[in-house]
Amino acid sequence: MRSIAKHLPHYFVLFGLLFAGILAFVLFSYDRAFQMIVAIAVAIAYVIWGLVHHSIHRDLYFSVVLEYLAVAALGLVMVFSLILRT
Amino acid sequence: MKFIHKIAHLLVPRESNNQKARLLHNSSLTLITFAFILYQLIISFVPRFAPRILGFAANISPDEVVRLTNEKRTQAGLSALNLNSTLSQAAQAKGADMLNKGYWAHVAPDGTQPWVFFTDLGYKYRYAGENLARDFSSASSAVEAWMNSASHKENLLSSKYKEVGIGVIEGNLAGVDTTIIVQFFGTKYVDSVPAAPIAEAKEIVATPVPPVGEKAGVLISPFNVTRSVSLGIVGLLLFVLIVDGVLVSKRRIARIAGRTFAHIAFLGMILAIALILRAGRII
Repeated sequence: MRSIAKHLPHYFVLFGLLFAGILAFVLFSYDRAFQMIVAIAVAIAYVIWGLVHHSIHRDLYFSVVLEYLAVAALGLVMVFSLILRT
Repeated sequence: MKFIHKIAHLLVPRESNNQKARLLHNSSLTLITFAFILYQLIISFVPRFAPRILGFAANISPDEVVRLTNEKRTQAGLSALNLNSTLSQAAQAKGADMLNKGYWAHVAPDGTQPWVFFTDLGYKYRYAGENLARDFSSASSAVEAWMNSASHKENLLSSKYKEVGIGVIEGNLAGVDTTIIVQFFGTKYVDSVPAAPIAEAKEIVATPVPPVGEKAGVLISPFNVTRSVSLGIVGLLLFVLIVDGVLVSKRRIARIAGRTFAHIAFLGMILAIALILRAGRII
């Protein structure tokens, strides 16, 4: 929890990105292609956020990069599967 | 006891899993991703071998579509549309054409316009319009979806139309069992002051609305099973991440890993998207 408070400005940026993603999904619910682009953009932004955040705190390791990639890939696969089946 | 240890190893940070729930290890997350892709491939191939297992079929009454359409028109202060059997036959023919030729569009791949179905059955129109919907489980959800789309709503609430015809057809479209609703609007050429025929097609994609009720005849919808599994996986991961975050913070464990809170936020967004997305399409 202390870590969250310490990194609050970073988390604001992350929340902004994720909220923008949800908003785009709602506003462009009629455009599946755009929703897919939004999903890719948010996943990439999430990984970049992780890289920048850990780089600033000097704890960026290869396994950490893989972790962000794994979480982003899982989320992306789920969202794509859902969009393609709507 | 052994089982409990295995579960704890999977879900709780401890010495055996290097202070990080096994489920959150990169290898586990990758495995879940590939398992999910495999699951999707299975869902895509099942209809080829067992066409009546996965798909979407619902008992939608054309009369109910007409009733709801007229209800919306009355609420908007417009006159109700008369159900025209020729228009209904034309709508049914359009639906059958889509299934036979395997397309989902206002205009067929061979260039056949929707208005051809009007004239083929002898309906000479002054004004004509078409709304299409598929994969909705009830008439009300389809009508609500049309009402949520400006262009479809314009068709539905147009004072130019005097008659309506509804075609509801079930069949296999691109390998998936589905129910298509074709709504044809029209005003006969003789009904109004003679003028050059004007056809108005609406080709707008709009926000679908959650299907409600009327579960009769519904097969296992690929969208619903995908969503259920997605919600299950994301829910489990969020639970494990929260437990992980709390325990790591409490025990003051120092480890090399991504930020738990960031993963929770990202998966929370995936959860929100899975809840927002709805089956059912209109054009």
